[in-house]
Amino acid sequence: MIEPLSLKKRLAVAAVAGSLLAFLAAALSPVSPAFRSYARGLEFAVLSGALIMAVAFVVAIPLGILAASGPRIFDSSLRFVCDLVSALPTVFIAAVLWAWSSRTLSYVCALGALRGLELAWLLRCEAVRLEASDHDFGPLALGSTPLLALLRQRLPASLGPVVVSASFSVAWLTALDAALTQAGLRPPTALPTWGLLLGAPSRSPLAALLAAGSVACLTVALHALFRPPALALPASDTGAPRPPL
Amino acid sequence: MNVQGAIRSLLGIALTMVAVSVGLFWACATYDARTHAARSSPFARLPLFFNRHPLSVRELSVAAMRAVAQGGPGARPAATELARLGGAALPYVLPALDSLDPDSRVRVALALTPVAVRMEVASADDLVSGDQAVLFWTRFWQDRAIDFRAPAVRHLATRLAERSIALRREDLIHVDTFALPALIDALGQVKTAADVARVERLSSVLSHVTGQPSPISPDADLDTARRAADTWRDFWELHGSEYSVLDGPRRLSATFAETQYGKWLADVLRGGLGRTRAGETALSLIQHSLVTTLVLLLFGLGGGFSLAVVWTRFERRSRTLASRYASAILGTTLAAVPCATIVSLFSADRAGYASAAGLVMLTTAAWVSRHLSRSTLSAGRISPIAAGFSVSAPLGAAYPPFVLSAIVLVELAFQLPGLGAAAARALRSGDVNAWMGTSLALALATLLLREMAELVRPRLLAKPEVEAS
Repeated sequence: MIEPLSLKKRLAVAAVAGSLLAFLAAALSPVSPAFRSYARGLEFAVLSGALIMAVAFVVAIPLGILAASGPRIFDSSLRFVCDLVSALPTVFIAAVLWAWSSRTLSYVCALGALRGLELAWLLRCEAVRLEASDHDFGPLALGSTPLLALLRQRLPASLGPVVVSASFSVAWLTALDAALTQAGLRPPTALPTWGLLLGAPSRSPLAALLAAGSVACLTVALHALFRPPALALPASDTGAPRPPL
Repeated sequence: MNVQGAIRSLLGIALTMVAVSVGLFWACATYDARTHAARSSPFARLPLFFNRHPLSVRELSVAAMRAVAQGGPGARPAATELARLGGAALPYVLPALDSLDPDSRVRVALALTPVAVRMEVASADDLVSGDQAVLFWTRFWQDRAIDFRAPAVRHLATRLAERSIALRREDLIHVDTFALPALIDALGQVKTAADVARVERLSSVLSHVTGQPSPISPDADLDTARRAADTWRDFWELHGSEYSVLDGPRRLSATFAETQYGKWLADVLRGGLGRTRAGETALSLIQHSLVTTLVLLLFGLGGGFSLAVVWTRFERRSRTLASRYASAILGTTLAAVPCATIVSLFSADRAGYASAAGLVMLTTAAWVSRHLSRSTLSAGRISPIAAGFSVSAPLGAAYPPFVLSAIVLVELAFQLPGLGAAAARALRSGDVNAWMGTSLALALATLLLREMAELVRPRLLAKPEVEAS
């Protein structure tokens, strides 16, 4: 079995990626206005990415737990809301949210809540799947309440798909921003972001490429940082003989 | 899935689509209002979803009459409003003349002079003085009140629709805008040359009483006549309540019908999902754009998922750590970077359908492979496809929206004529019918894809019954 990266190594990957990007931003911003936009885009990506993830987790965890272990009405309501929200490409929802919210902070928080709904559904599905596949569940057998058992054991085990999706938050935000720019739906007074550089790459190709590379770098770092221990590859996947069914 | 389950799914989709349409309409109105663009729906003056006080010809004409009677700066626009309302306002204005003081009565009677001229019952010279005007309108109502009855006017309109005689036309002009509902109803379907002639006759009267230019000329062909009939129906959709009375159930229904959403729905029910600003129906816009989106969807869903399965198998079975990390970093990078914009930067205008389909496939494959590689259901003899379905993330919830979002991005970057690009264009220009048509088509595609995913793995998506207890 191949061991996943240790916590120290994951933190080191994230720190190296962050330092590299910060150095790039500091070194390039005096060169030209395009690179200054890149530096401001980095600031926006990091801050708004962190805010989106924070809001998303705050929304996702209680909703996901309630839908997975609470009364069925929560499950049905979450399903309905997720159907509504995901029935449209997010770029249009983002366009409306940006037009609707007067400040960037509220726009980012609204996006975080939107992301939180999606993550809540992932959490609910994973928790339900785990519960269905594990019939001799210890805490329940010992008399714990379903909610307590879910909080202590199911929740950490169910967070896999959620953190995978959450680690794409910066990429998601940048892609949304780029699509809004290309669709002409971005407010003209909005902050300069990487999405603006990527949405109109012909204006400053080098800065756009740098932004694309930075998005990839940040996402890989987040991916490495958030890789949960439960996602370690089992022996059966490494080419070793599988156990008989 | 049994029949009961299928019906339940269809009902669920229908209910969700209704809710989605409300959300989309709100989104369009909000975007329109907040961006302050130089455009507005013709129904922008109406409330969005609920009209607490729907206005009919009665309220409008009484308000205009009072404003004219009071005189002052508000009298002139009120007189214009009275002239516009025309014959439809007379049953509420003329009986009330006696209740006004003499000066007010004179002002109101004189304000009605343009109506008398349009109705061809008097000339402007006949109504120069206030006394003449008051006397004329008092006698007019004594003689002609009986003509202002809906069944009689409907009969006149039907007769004019059947055959052209000058007298029939004059009879309708004498009741002016009071005949509008009957005239619009008489337009009917346009299929034959006789229908074209009927639309010409009715359009002439409609144009006279409303003051609008006639959208049809003599010797018009079938298409022109059809468009003319649609133009008059659009006019009626926009102004119908201003020439009708809202009583009882009609007033109740008008609280919904006399809203922006109600007007859009009425437009949809007329067929073709309403007409866009360009003049074509929203349905034909969807048909034009659907091919591009479907092709990309096919590559994204089919090709992207298959490639992701192969990718994940390769990643899991590769024995060296380096190749595994390289695969993971490549997958994460491809899923994270908006590749379409980068490719469009280098390819300029040369990027077409092939590169768009390839990009959608590659991006979705990278994204799905990231989820598959982290499936916790990877132990045992489970195929990657089963694992993919069981992760519950890629297919059930997030996969169709992700693919559709990727498609929209690619359509925008490569300027392909797909549904996403059409929806973006419609939202930007405030074209409600085009926006609603294209975005509802995208929403329906997402919901159908999700239902299909549920069909494939019904037991895993459904919450087990044991949980309810």
